[in-house]
Amino acid sequence: MARAKTVAVTRSIRETASQRPPFLGFGLGLRPQHYSDILEASPKVDWFEAISENYMVPGGQPLRMLDKIRARYPIVLHGVSLSIASTAPFNENYLKDLKTLAARVEPQFVSDHLCWTGVHGVNLHDLLPIPYTREALDHVVARVHYVQEYLGRPLAIENVSTYVQFAHSEMPEWEFITELTKRTGCWLVFDVNNVFVSAFNHGWDAHAFIDGIPIDRVVQFHLAGHEHNVSHIIDTHDALVPEEVWELFRAAVKRFGPVSTIIERDDNIPPLADLVAELGTARTIAEEMLAELKQERT
Amino acid sequence: MTDNPSPMPASSLTLAEIQSRLQAAIVSGDDAILSSLADGSRESRDVLLGVYRHAYTARLIEVLSSDYPFLRACVGDDLFRDLAKSYIVAHPSKSQNVRWFGTAFPRFLEGHESTAQHPEHAELAAIEKAVADAFDSADAPVLGFTDLSAYPPDEWVNLTFALHPSVTLLQLRMNAFEIWRSLKEGEPPPPAVPLACNQHLAVWRQGTSPKVRVMADEEAMMCGAAWRGTPFGMLCVMVATFDDPETAPMRAASYLQSWLASEMLTSANPQPLAVRFKMNNGLECEQLQ
Repeated sequence: MARAKTVAVTRSIRETASQRPPFLGFGLGLRPQHYSDILEASPKVDWFEAISENYMVPGGQPLRMLDKIRARYPIVLHGVSLSIASTAPFNENYLKDLKTLAARVEPQFVSDHLCWTGVHGVNLHDLLPIPYTREALDHVVARVHYVQEYLGRPLAIENVSTYVQFAHSEMPEWEFITELTKRTGCWLVFDVNNVFVSAFNHGWDAHAFIDGIPIDRVVQFHLAGHEHNVSHIIDTHDALVPEEVWELFRAAVKRFGPVSTIIERDDNIPPLADLVAELGTARTIAEEMLAELKQERT
Repeated sequence: MTDNPSPMPASSLTLAEIQSRLQAAIVSGDDAILSSLADGSRESRDVLLGVYRHAYTARLIEVLSSDYPFLRACVGDDLFRDLAKSYIVAHPSKSQNVRWFGTAFPRFLEGHESTAQHPEHAELAAIEKAVADAFDSADAPVLGFTDLSAYPPDEWVNLTFALHPSVTLLQLRMNAFEIWRSLKEGEPPPPAVPLACNQHLAVWRQGTSPKVRVMADEEAMMCGAAWRGTPFGMLCVMVATFDDPETAPMRAASYLQSWLASEMLTSANPQPLAVRFKMNNGLECEQLQ
């Protein structure tokens, strides 16, 4: 009986998973510093990505603000603590809170990162890397299935910036991600900056990553700035999107077509108008690349 | 190149073992994970591992700085960083939401050697925590004057009140509130001094804004008793024993009016059955009304 129910839920998730989220246009990460500007000026932003955990609180102003902004803009919920790759058991309270928030917000989709954040009851509040092994793949596949069934909706999983790689990885990151989406039906958030950072740190070709990801699974692009330390790059989200990331964005748009895009800024947060202006660059590049793509196809 | 610190071949480690080792490397400085890592294209694995190690402490210090900005301003960056580092070691985060990482910081400061001589530090942190809690504590209905007037006067004696979930009552020995208020207004804080008698502070949310105000001893006593579920009739008796019995009902009604106006109450409930008393020996007993 329980198995029959699980099979039915899994089938339902798969059916939902076949319904690709719509193209939302060009958005921004929702930050509390911008609440009043968003509500007073209705800036030219197509949608917002809200950090799930910022609103997984009992009540008060954060949830009220999110409700108000949700009434005007599409929202995607983007988590940082699901810890999908952790070998620790899931925190059921976290999943319950996430499901409650998703029911309240009715987001376009729910996303989190391909990483773990802690084991043994401790949380490091970082997006930690995994070895790309078959064992890890089986583990993450099972956990994505579990969360998708629990939430009753497909997840979108994002590639993270990594600074170390494991000597015994058995496949490149893009192959791991491709297998993950094939086996679970999850969507993918393609973080262009993270691809650039990891490619630089580990010495692989960022374009091989782009070419290795299935076209039909990517539902969102992330763009952000980073800190270049000559021998390695740190993903800081505290600066303008640099030219080399725009360059990679061009290649990503050319491969994946029109994909909902946001700029993320988590530190040195500028006035909203500055981010809206930077978002204009993303629009222009995407339009140029899509026109180029159309021309090539005709 | 880094030497292999472990005789165990990296490939024989399970995912769980890899995660245990990487966590130990970041939190405790254990190097065993290095044998499982590859060097980067331009940088050695130990330097790259250092990115995670540095980020762990730096991120959590930043969280505490953001949660306790006035404490940081009061004690200075260096002492704050030392206190934060000690807290990170003593209280590794157990919550998946970083919002709750710093909740034990005021209590930690109470027992910390460097602040034991400065109780105002823990008190200042407690005020900041109460304000943050008021900001995003649970929503609840607000009890209004009209809700209360629905009860006939003879039932008021048995009414108990539920305080709004955002309410925190603090008791201060130092002038921490004065320090907090100065820092909030962008002014230099006064020197820390002990108060002649304890000061009571109420922190709560009105609308979407946290509020902080001093409560007189009598009002604080009545508010604390109301919080514990003492009926209004008994609250009046307590107020009568605190000061002039003749004006006690008026004073109690005035405090109640103030709580209603400032949205500190969420419901009133008739409690006809029993009132709990705490006896001198510490035992609790109930008396039928």
